[in-house]
Amino acid sequence: MREQGVAVKTQLHENEQAEERAGYYPVSGAHLYTVLHEVAEPLARMLLVGPFASERHNSYLPWVRWARYLAAANVEVLRYDYRGVGESTGNFETMTFADWGEDVAQLSVWLKERGPQVPLVLHGLGLGAVLSGRAFDAGIGDALLLWSAPANANQALRQTLMRWVGLEQIFKFGDDRKSASDYIRKLEQGSPLEVDGYTWSVKLWQESFDFALPAALASEESAAKAYTRPVRMVKLTRDAAPLSKGGLVGFDDLKDFGWLYAPNREWLVAMATKGSKGIVYA
Amino acid sequence: MRECIGTRELMVLDGLGVRLQGTYHRPAGGLSVATGAGDRVGVLFVNSLSLPRAASGDSAVHWANAIAALGYPAFRIDLPGLGDSAGQASTDLLDRINDGAFAPVAAGAIKELEDRFALSGVIVFGHCAGSVSAVYAGAASSKCKGLILLDPYFHLPQAKRPRLREELSGWARRSKLGGMLSNAYDRTRNVAMKVRGNTPPGNANMQLLERWKQLTAAGIPVLLLKAPGIKAQGAKPRVGEFDYIDYVVKLAGRRTRVSAEFVEGADHSFANRAGREAVQKHISEWLGKNFPLFDHKSVKSNDLAKHASDEPVDLKESAAVSDEQCCALEAGK
Repeated sequence: MREQGVAVKTQLHENEQAEERAGYYPVSGAHLYTVLHEVAEPLARMLLVGPFASERHNSYLPWVRWARYLAAANVEVLRYDYRGVGESTGNFETMTFADWGEDVAQLSVWLKERGPQVPLVLHGLGLGAVLSGRAFDAGIGDALLLWSAPANANQALRQTLMRWVGLEQIFKFGDDRKSASDYIRKLEQGSPLEVDGYTWSVKLWQESFDFALPAALASEESAAKAYTRPVRMVKLTRDAAPLSKGGLVGFDDLKDFGWLYAPNREWLVAMATKGSKGIVYA
Repeated sequence: MRECIGTRELMVLDGLGVRLQGTYHRPAGGLSVATGAGDRVGVLFVNSLSLPRAASGDSAVHWANAIAALGYPAFRIDLPGLGDSAGQASTDLLDRINDGAFAPVAAGAIKELEDRFALSGVIVFGHCAGSVSAVYAGAASSKCKGLILLDPYFHLPQAKRPRLREELSGWARRSKLGGMLSNAYDRTRNVAMKVRGNTPPGNANMQLLERWKQLTAAGIPVLLLKAPGIKAQGAKPRVGEFDYIDYVVKLAGRRTRVSAEFVEGADHSFANRAGREAVQKHISEWLGKNFPLFDHKSVKSNDLAKHASDEPVDLKESAAVSDEQCCALEAGK
């Protein structure tokens, strides 16, 4: 055993001057677990819309560190758990993409009302990119940052499924090993599927095909033509695991993501600074 | 934003100077729990490796709700650098956990909970690497009254195996020939293990085994749950693999109060429905036997009915909240 009292790195993270406040936000039939990284006079406010269900757990540490990194750069951040996932309440099995879309809309309003004079940025990862992209397309937010945006929710579900199948296969030999196609077949034949502790309803799977990223968000170029508000789209490579596909929990989630955070922060700060010089966002 | 809803309250502990974020699950009916003198114990969940305090598939939320519905206060915390807690997790997290690095801060959390909630003691709950932290924490705290351990390990695993070995293992799992070679390898290891006798392998975590012996020899009740392992035969490990569970049960000695159970149908995370419900049932029986409820009359009738019928307690409680029921923590600030 190491010396008592200094067992784990206990020094405060460099970004922890910002206060973090956890709380519950009421929505229809449930409460969303939220963490506000509070900043006194922020350059901008940002709503973080994270990845889907079990992906939340895999990517939690780099996601939290990103929020702290932004707070240290004077950006106030609100992150939250989807309805029915993590610390939020609600029955996951009965949730729909519409419910999760409603969560984004309501939290955006709450965050914007904290100070309408600074831009509100929506930021989504994976399924969160689809949710925030759709909210942005509906007129919510002054800027949009997307990481690994899939074309539709089904792609996000498939990625989640692939990761889980990979883990399952570690524990199985020979004929006991099932492929992702076997599980997809089950869903398409009308049976719900339990993925990493979450039961995916058949309805969720069916709706996922049509729950798409708006066509205008196919690329930054198309977004620039469609919107007057800034949009940045980043495709994460394997180096960004577990924020992107792959990675080992307890290993890859602990590595340094500064290379990813820095350019995104720079974009955000530049966008917010221009805004303060009179550019209209919406 | 609110800090409490239904039976849940958010809480912050002082982890030796580091802010620890947690969730408190209030016990049903304000029931008191006996540990012999009319005192009550709480159950503290610690992180499994780097997973946040909800754990895989939010299974820890499910179990904490169920435990609270039985009448025991339950607490889930994020250790320093994990989940929503402050601090920075080390890149050699697994090694540090295996070295007992979280023990002082977890023991501090036990003490703080004991003081804040007037508990006579705390049962520490851990899964996988979390069970290693639980054993160390239990040994470091005189207020640890029991352990609930899911798939504990007592060796020193490598965080990341060499790529070649990973690929060989993958091939063995996929192909028939690979499977046959893997079986032959297992038999060779089995011979070597028999020659060695009932001695733990060279990579056994002796420090952890010492802490285990210290706790169990003192008669601390332990519930140890095991999921089916890779190529395992029921509760027995894979051929050629040392049977740590059998070893640690014997190591506990004559005063042992260790209940080791095999959970058929569970996966390693215990987050699948079969695993989650079986764990809940085992915990309910074990708590009732070792930490019996002091006053059954004060349990709400619907809570008892739920448990009597063995129905799983609702994972996510209703959003309908009575404000006056909330915020015991806030009131105590």
